[in-house]
Amino acid sequence: MAEMVLTPPLRADGREPNFLQKFGHAFVHGDIFTKLSFVVWGLGYIGHGQLIKALLVTLVQGLGLYFLGTSGIPALKKFSTLGTVQMEMQFNPLTLKNEVNNYDNSFAILLLSVIALVVIVTLIAAAMLVVQSNYALQAQKAAGKKPNNFRQDITMYLNEKFYVTLLTLPVLGVVVFTIVPLFILIAVAFTNYDQQHMPPAALFTWVGLANFAALFGGQSLTVTFSYAFGRVLGWTLVWAFFATFTTFFGGVFLAMLINNKKTKCQKLWRTLFMVTIAVPQFVTLLLVRNFFSDAGIFNTLMTNAGVTDFLKTIGLLGQNMNHIPFLTDQHWAKFMIVLINIWVGVPYQMIIATGVLMNIPGDMLEASTIDGASPWQSFIHIKLPYLFSVQGPALVTDFVKNVNNFNVIYLLTQDVYITKNQALASSSAKEVDLLVTWLFRLTQEQYNYKMAAVIGIMVFIICAVFTLVCFRFLNKKEATFS
Amino acid sequence: MKKLISRRNFLAAMGTVAAAGVLTACGGSSSGTASSAAASSTAASAAESWGDVKLTMWGAEEDQTMLREMADAFIEQNADKGNVTIEIGVQSESSTKDTVLADPESAADVFAFADDQLNELVNAGALQEILLNPDDIKSRNLPGSVDAATLNDKLYAYPMTADNGYFLYYDASVLTAEDVQSMDTMLEKAAAAGKKFMMSVNDAWYIYSFYAGAGLVATLAEDGINTVCNWNEAPGADVTQAILDITANPGFKSGADADIVSAIKDGSCCAAISGTWNANTAEGAWGEGYAATKLPTYTLNGEQVQMGSFSGYKLVGVNPHSANVGVAMMLADFITNEDNQIKRFNDRKLGPSNINANATEAVQSAPAIAALAEQSSYATLQRVGANYWNSAASLGEILVSGDTQGKTTQQLVDNAVAGITAPVAQ
Amino acid sequence: MTQATVSPARRTETAAQLRRGRILRTVRSILRHLLLALLAGIWLVPILWLLVTSFSTDRGINVRRFFPASYTISNYVNILFHSDSVAQFPRWFANTFVVACFNCVISTCFVLMVAYALSCCRFKGRKLLQNLSVIVNLFPGVLAMIAVYFVLKYLNLTNSYAGLIMVYAGSSGLGYLICKGFFDTIPISLREAAKLDGASDARVFFQVVLPMSRPILVYTIISSFMVPWTDFVMAKMILNSGLSADWTVAIGLYNMLQKTLINNYFALFCAGGVLVSIPISILFVIMQKFYVEGITSGADKG
Repeated sequence: MAEMVLTPPLRADGREPNFLQKFGHAFVHGDIFTKLSFVVWGLGYIGHGQLIKALLVTLVQGLGLYFLGTSGIPALKKFSTLGTVQMEMQFNPLTLKNEVNNYDNSFAILLLSVIALVVIVTLIAAAMLVVQSNYALQAQKAAGKKPNNFRQDITMYLNEKFYVTLLTLPVLGVVVFTIVPLFILIAVAFTNYDQQHMPPAALFTWVGLANFAALFGGQSLTVTFSYAFGRVLGWTLVWAFFATFTTFFGGVFLAMLINNKKTKCQKLWRTLFMVTIAVPQFVTLLLVRNFFSDAGIFNTLMTNAGVTDFLKTIGLLGQNMNHIPFLTDQHWAKFMIVLINIWVGVPYQMIIATGVLMNIPGDMLEASTIDGASPWQSFIHIKLPYLFSVQGPALVTDFVKNVNNFNVIYLLTQDVYITKNQALASSSAKEVDLLVTWLFRLTQEQYNYKMAAVIGIMVFIICAVFTLVCFRFLNKKEATFS
Repeated sequence: MKKLISRRNFLAAMGTVAAAGVLTACGGSSSGTASSAAASSTAASAAESWGDVKLTMWGAEEDQTMLREMADAFIEQNADKGNVTIEIGVQSESSTKDTVLADPESAADVFAFADDQLNELVNAGALQEILLNPDDIKSRNLPGSVDAATLNDKLYAYPMTADNGYFLYYDASVLTAEDVQSMDTMLEKAAAAGKKFMMSVNDAWYIYSFYAGAGLVATLAEDGINTVCNWNEAPGADVTQAILDITANPGFKSGADADIVSAIKDGSCCAAISGTWNANTAEGAWGEGYAATKLPTYTLNGEQVQMGSFSGYKLVGVNPHSANVGVAMMLADFITNEDNQIKRFNDRKLGPSNINANATEAVQSAPAIAALAEQSSYATLQRVGANYWNSAASLGEILVSGDTQGKTTQQLVDNAVAGITAPVAQ
Repeated sequence: MTQATVSPARRTETAAQLRRGRILRTVRSILRHLLLALLAGIWLVPILWLLVTSFSTDRGINVRRFFPASYTISNYVNILFHSDSVAQFPRWFANTFVVACFNCVISTCFVLMVAYALSCCRFKGRKLLQNLSVIVNLFPGVLAMIAVYFVLKYLNLTNSYAGLIMVYAGSSGLGYLICKGFFDTIPISLREAAKLDGASDARVFFQVVLPMSRPILVYTIISSFMVPWTDFVMAKMILNSGLSADWTVAIGLYNMLQKTLINNYFALFCAGGVLVSIPISILFVIMQKFYVEGITSGADKG
C-alpha cells in the first residue's frame, strides 16, 4: 500500500487518516471495480486481475449473506419482541408423535440476533477493507506495477501479515465462545428470562432496567434482594482481599524459607509442596470438605484431643455444641475457607515468588549487605518493594480472579452450608457466597437467569473499576519511582 | 423457529467471521472454511408401525441394571411393531428437575423423578400429559400416588413407587415400641442409654413434619408457582419453641443423611427419621433389633401432637420434546406396570404404588412399607413452590443451633414465612 | 584475623564466640528445618488422608480414625477392572485423556500464536486487542456458561467431545499473558538478525523463538493438559446425556460424592483421585524445572 501513486488519502492536519476516512477516500476516488467491490467483493478483484482471491472473498461474502438471509435476518426481525408465538403441542394418537406449531424460541432469537449483528458488523467492516484493498490495487496498476499473484499474497501472510495468520483462529474462538455468550448474557439482564419465562415452552421479552431496579431495592419483589447483594458483595471483597494477600505473602515467606542458603535439600522441600498442585483441585477440595465436616474425621480428632472442650471453656464455641462447625457456622466457615485457600494457593505463589526473588539484581542485595543491613531490613527495603513493583499487576489480576473464584467456595460450601440468616435465605444467598457462586446457584436452582445476568454485570463493573484504579495508581507510582 | 437455524447456517456465520478476520489485513486470501455439513433429514415414520425408535431413559444409579432388564423386555415385547433401541442414563431422581430444566429439549425421553418436582416440570413444559389410557393408570395405582402425578386435573406422570416419604426407624434393643410413640419418652430413653435420636431438622423436607402435625399449612398457591404458608399463625410460634426444646435435648442430634448413616453404623444413634434409602444400613447395623413405625408425637403446649409428613412418590415422566412421545409413553407405562413394580420390589426393595403389587404379602410385611402406610394418614402431598426450600432450611438451621439471634419464636416464623411466600422470580 | 597481635585470652574469647555462633546457627538451622517440616506436614495431611483412605477396607467415609483399620487394594482393583454403573473409571480416564490431548495441542498453539503476535509483531490494533482481552477476562466465566451451552447446541455439538474441546480451546487464546511475558524477554536483536538473513516472520517464529521457549512451552502444555481433568462444571453441562460412560473423570468422581452414593463410594473416589493425580504428577516431575522457569519468567514481566 506504500507505493500508492493515485492520490493517497490525506488529512488537512497532516495526520494519518483513520479507517473511515481511508475508506471514504478509496470509495470516492476508486474506479468502477473498486466501487462495485463494496457490494460484490469479488468484482473488484476480477477487475484488478486477482481471480483466486476474487473467488475466495465472494465465497466468504456469500456464506455471510446466506446465514443472514436464512437465519440472521428472520431472527433480527423478531428481536424487538423476542418472539410472539407461544409453543403449542398436540399429541397425535395416530402417528404417536407430538405435533408442534411453528413457535418462537426467545433464546434462539436472542442468540441468532447477536450472531447476526456480529456478522453484519464484520461484513461491513470487511467490505470497507475490500474497497481499500482494491483501491490499492488500482493504484499499483496505475503506477504500472503488476498486482500480487496468489502465491505472493500467501507469502505476505507468512511475513509482514504473519500476525493475521496467527490471530485469526484464536480470535475467532474467543468471539464464538466468549464474546458472543457475553453479549447474550448482557442482553438477558434486560429481559424477564426466569423460571416462569423459560424457552422453549414459554417466551421472554424485554423489560428494560426493571431487574437493575429490583437489585437496588426499587421494586417490591424480594425485599431482601438488595440486602443480599450488599452482604454478598461485602464478603466477596473481603474474601478477595484476604485470599490475594494471604497467598501472596505466604508464597513469599515459603519461597524465602526454602531458597535460603542455609536450607538443605531445597528441591525436596519444593517438590513436597508442589505435590498439592498435582492433585486436581476439585479432588482436594471435596476431600477437605469431608475432612472438616461436622461429623468428620478432624472433629473426631479434635474431640479426642480435647480441643473441642477447650474451645468451649474459652468461649469460642457454644456450650451446646459437641463439634466444631468448621464449615457450617458463618465465622468458622469464612475463616476456614481463607485458610484452605492458603493451602491451595501458596504452592503456586511460592513458585512465582521463587522466580522473582532469584531475579533481584545481585548488586542491590550486595550493596545492602555491605551497608550492614540485617536480613529483615533487606527484606523490607529491597526485596519487598521489588516484589511489589514486579508483581503489582499480577496482584491486581489475582484479586479479580479471586472475586470470580468459583471453585473454592462452591466445592467447600455447596450442600454443606445452610444459612441462619433468613433474609439471605429468601434470596437463596448464603453468608459465604461470592457473587459468582450466588449467581450460579440462582441459575441452577431458581432458573433466575435475569438476576444472575444482572449480578454478573455488577461483578464486571466492580472488577473493571478496581482494575482501572489500581493500574492508574501503579502507573503513577512507577512514573514517580523511576 | 426451530428450523430457522441449522448447523450449516451456523458454519456459514462462523466462516464469514473467520474469513472477514483474515480480510482485516486489507483484503486477502482466506483459507477456505466452507465445509458442507451433511444435511440432516429425518424420515417421517409411518403411522402403523413405529419404524426405528431411539429412546433414552434416565433412572437412579442403583436402578441401572434393573432398568436395562426392563428395557430389554420392552424391546422384545414390541419387536413386531418397530425397531426400538433404548439407552439408559444415570440421573438421581431427587435432582432430575435440575438437569431437565437446564435444557428440556436435550433431556431424556423418559425419566424418573420425585413427585415434589412435578409442578416445576409441568410449568416449564417439560412433562407430557399422559394421553394413552390415563384412566387405566389412575385405576391401577394407589389414589395418593395418582394425586401426586396429577396437576390441574391432568395426569402428567406414571406412578412408580409409593415409599419415598419418611418414617421412624429404631433399634428395638434400646427402645421399645411403646417408647417410640412419643418424642419425649424416646429422647429420654435414648439419652439414658447414652445414644441419640437423629433427624435432619435443618432440612426443609423434614422440618415440615412439626408444623404439619400442628395443623399448619405449606402448599402450592393457586397459580401453581408460589407457596402459601401459615406457619406464622397460632400455634406456629409454639411449634417453633417445641422444636427448640427438642434440639436442646441431650438425647437429640440433628444430622444430614450421611451423618445419620455413620452414626447408625458406629452405634451412637438408636433411632432416626429418614427414608427407605437409609433403612438398609439400619437393618444391617441393628440386625434383629431393626424396627420401623410412624413418626412419634411431640409435646406442643403440654399436649401430644402427632407429627405430620410429606408423602413421597417416585414418578416416571415423558418428555414432550421427545421425537417419539407415544412410544416413550408406552415405555414409561411398561416399566411401571404391575409386574415391573413387583420386580422393583424384589430387586430393590422399593415399595410399589400399584394397588395389586402393593397388596402382596411380601410387600405388606416389609417393615418400612408398613411404617409408611401407618404414617400415610398423617402425610400430605408434597406441593411447594421453589422458594420454600431455602427459607425453611434456614429456619431449621437456626433451631438446630439453638441460637435464635435475639428474635422471638414468632419473629422467626414470620421471617421464614416471608421468605417462603415471596413470589418466585417476578 | 591478624593472628600475631591477638592475645591468648582474646583468642579463647573469639573461639567461644565462634562456638556460640555456631551453636546459634545450628539451633537456627534446626528451627528452620523444623518449621519447614511442620509446614510440609500440614500441606501433606490431606494428601496422606487421600492416599490411606484409597486403601481402606471401609467403603464410606471413616470418621472415627485417620488411618483405616485395615488396608486393601480392592478399591483400585474395583475402580480399574470392575466398572459398575456408578464407577466407570477406565472409560472416564480414556475420555478425559482424549479431550486433554486435543485441548493440549490446540490450546498450546492458540496461546503461543496470540502471545507471539502480541509480543513480537507490530500492527495497528495491537494495543486495542490487548485491552479488549483484559476487559473480557473481567467477566465472570460462570455466567457465560449457559450461553456457551446454547451456542454449542445450535452447532449440534452438545454431548460430544468435539464440543467440549472447542469450548476449552476456543477461549484459550485469552490466557496468553504469561507466555507473552516470556516472549517479551527474548532479545529483539535475535529476531532481527534472523530476518536480515532473509527468514520470513513465520520462520523466525518456528526456528528462532520457539526453540528458545522451552520453559513456557512446557508450562503452557501442562496447564492446558490439566484443564479437562479439573473442570467439572462446564463438562457436566455439556455432557448431559446422563450416560455415565460418556463422562470425564471430574464429573464421574464428583458424582460419587452424591448424598446417596458417598457412603459406598468414598474410598473409590479417593482411589480415583490418586489415579488422576498420577499422570499429572509424572508430567510435573519430568517438567518441573521448565514449569518453574516458565511460570516465573512469564510472571516476572506481568
